[in-house]
Amino acid sequence: MAHSLLADAPGHIDLLLGNEAIVRGAVEAGLQVATCYPGTPSSEVPDTLFRLSPEARYSFEYSVNEKVALEVAGGATLAGALTLCTMKHVGVNVAADPLMTLCYTGTPGGLLLLSADDPGCHSSQNEQDNRYYARLAGMPVLEPSTAQEAKDMTRDGLLLSKKHGAPFMLRTTTRVNHLRGPVEFGPVPDPGKPDGFQRNPSKFVPIPAFSRPMHVALLERLEALRQEAENSPYNTVTGSGSLGIVCSSISRAYVADALAQSGLADRVKVLGLGFSHPLPETMCLDFLSSVSRLLVVEELEPILENDLRVLAQKNGLDVEILGKDVLPRCNEFTVSMVEDAICRLTGEAAPVRDACQPAALPMRPPNLCAGCPHRGSYFAARKVFGDDAIYSSDIGCYTLGLLPPLKAADFLLCMGSSISAGGGAALASGKTVLAFIGDSTYFHSGLTGVANAVFNKHDVLIVVLDNRTTAMTGHQPHPGVDKTILGDNDSRLDIEASLRGLGVTEVREVNPFNQKKTIAAFEELKTMKGVRALIAKEPCPLFTRRIYKKVAPQVAYVAESCTGRFECLDTLACPAMYRDGDHAAVNPILCNGCMLCLQVCGHIKAKKRGS
Amino acid sequence: MNDIKPIRIFMTGVGGQGTLTATTMLARTVLAAGLPVTSGEIHGMAQRGGVVESTVLIGCKSPKIGHGEADILLGFEPMETVRALPYLKRGGLVLSSTEFMPPLSVAMGKQACPSLDEIKTQVAACTDKAHYMNSQTIGIEAGAVQSGNIALLGALCATGALPFGPEALAATIKANLPAKLQAVNLKALELGVAALDA
Ligand SMILES: Cc1ncc(C[n+]2csc(CCOP(=O)(O)OP(=O)(O)O)c2C)c(N)n1
Ligand code: SF4
Ligand code: SF4
Repeated sequence: MAHSLLADAPGHIDLLLGNEAIVRGAVEAGLQVATCYPGTPSSEVPDTLFRLSPEARYSFEYSVNEKVALEVAGGATLAGALTLCTMKHVGVNVAADPLMTLCYTGTPGGLLLLSADDPGCHSSQNEQDNRYYARLAGMPVLEPSTAQEAKDMTRDGLLLSKKHGAPFMLRTTTRVNHLRGPVEFGPVPDPGKPDGFQRNPSKFVPIPAFSRPMHVALLERLEALRQEAENSPYNTVTGSGSLGIVCSSISRAYVADALAQSGLADRVKVLGLGFSHPLPETMCLDFLSSVSRLLVVEELEPILENDLRVLAQKNGLDVEILGKDVLPRCNEFTVSMVEDAICRLTGEAAPVRDACQPAALPMRPPNLCAGCPHRGSYFAARKVFGDDAIYSSDIGCYTLGLLPPLKAADFLLCMGSSISAGGGAALASGKTVLAFIGDSTYFHSGLTGVANAVFNKHDVLIVVLDNRTTAMTGHQPHPGVDKTILGDNDSRLDIEASLRGLGVTEVREVNPFNQKKTIAAFEELKTMKGVRALIAKEPCPLFTRRIYKKVAPQVAYVAESCTGRFECLDTLACPAMYRDGDHAAVNPILCNGCMLCLQVCGHIKAKKRGS
Repeated sequence: MNDIKPIRIFMTGVGGQGTLTATTMLARTVLAAGLPVTSGEIHGMAQRGGVVESTVLIGCKSPKIGHGEADILLGFEPMETVRALPYLKRGGLVLSSTEFMPPLSVAMGKQACPSLDEIKTQVAACTDKAHYMNSQTIGIEAGAVQSGNIALLGALCATGALPFGPEALAATIKANLPAKLQAVNLKALELGVAALDA
């Protein structure tokens, strides 16, 4: 029996994660090709597509990075395939170059780009608002607020994209990707074969002579899409009153709940924009003319607010428009925040809010897991280089090495920056620079950094933290992995060979749990100049457990002879270890048996797991 | 859908405790009862021992609970119960585990956990409606420590604060969990309900 997300079961209702709803919507559109690079909060989309792929009728790939994902998607849609491409918001920065051009060439087979934004920085380095990208590139935008809409908008975005030959953006936020709600399923068509490639260089090859008319055509498409927005079922007017609210994305849910609980629903008129770009100007103008004051409720940037101000000014409307002067430009909204703003503008007293204020507690920051191989690499690096070197870090679980006692991250820009930025820091500071990079990040955008460092003779010690998986985002495959949830990776790329191929002559490989060898390798590489590399290779134990169903046969224990120095605790901060009165102790359930602590203190011993 | 009085349930625990399964079980029970439900989860760092927060909302559109908005707070770890108190409406209902999972700073002996009495005092400053139980121990007694979450949920259903009782949660468990997990979780549910009465 087909997995329920693939089944043709119209009318069936299930509780879905927003990201699962997106997968279902794509299946209901007749998805033919999907390309993705993982990143929270988007990752369950590719992970679900991948898990279902053996029984599904689409072709799926984890691409090596977002630029590549969008390029593969672009080629597929140019060859007539109905295509989905997914990434987190910062991924769109990586993919921005092909994105701009795809809006010029158009996407004959249809293309929906999922941009999963993260207001509040739940799992990201910034809270950039990718609705700007849609304006920059000239892309229509759909913004779901419920699981049902996530499903429906994905389906309709793909179909509208094919109809207009224009790429669509499905712009979500963390709350939408990670909400769960009921979804009513529609029918599942047979996706059939892609339409095939229709040669037409004047449309598809953006040399300047062709680009100029392509730009004109893009603007014409946007006007046609504006008509779609005017008539879209996702753009709705409800209620009545002299105060108007325009809202988009998840803010539509906050507004609905705020009006319901304040009892002000009959005094406020609401324009909800689910199809928010190109702006349905006629609809907005009608709305603006029907109210005397307008509050724009949108998280992050004042994008709709500014659009509406322009519209009002152009049409000589005398309506007061409020937005970021009442609601914040940073972080997420809450229902209470929106309710308070509505109360203020309707002259009602806002409810008293006196949230409980408990006393401070010990914090619970995330930490490298017990038995994490990154701990071994960092421990050895600190031992050899101390505070003398600069630690250029990158994005992954290993960024958590930032925290004391390992303190192995001095700066970080973006995925793949450690080698290139490390080279820059070395040439400007004259200090030894270690550039830490994970294996997934290495394939994502480290390779170009290596080529640059070799060519420009940078002085940087590359440390590839090769834990055989993309751990941070949920253990996704990448080109170097041995195995995935679907079986062996028979087109595996070798990191050492790639480093040597790119001209790095001094490459060493160690198991970071072998401290003696790891320290010796660091000592040796310390004496050298130029680009040299250490590959610290040892799988993430969580990955091993999940994929190989294996755990280490041994665990650590602290012998009676422990003298209570606590060097183990103070220098390793392994979450399996704790202080038990005057002694250190190991929790055998949490211990992953890496045997690192045994190399720090002779009073720690190994024993058989379960003994 | 708006004749239904909204109920907002905030849940908090520690990565690896399995709190998201409990959240989904509760959301499915609401759906099966024919009520409008949304649920949310923030779990970016779940695997690495950080805090995992999740929500189930009945009769609301938004999946998020802001400060002072939760009618019910379910704490799968006592310190996390206290940390999440700002989300609770004053006078709201609290159900909490009494068993600590010390964070790293405490394990390393650099900081201390508050005592259970201190936890209860902090909760009492926000509400007089609180129930405590050793849900991990109950989970172990039922056959798996993670099932302690279901014990706490079962107790919640038994308080009468939700529009359905423990039998509705039992039906969800039977309909959604693989056979080998059902017995353990049904047992945990039963023990959780009994622990509320105790
Ligand atoms: C441009 C971009 N894409 C995706 C992400 C999401 N992301 C964060 S860490 C990571 C992968 C890290 O994998 P790896 O380098 O192997 O390190 P590990 O987590 O396994 O230690 C990804 C994809 C991001 N932060 N930026
Ligand atoms: S998930 Fe794996 S790589 Fe990430 S911190 Fe845990 S052990 Fe380390
Ligand atoms: S062997 Fe030692 S360092 Fe490794 S996981 Fe166990 S307690 Fe932690």
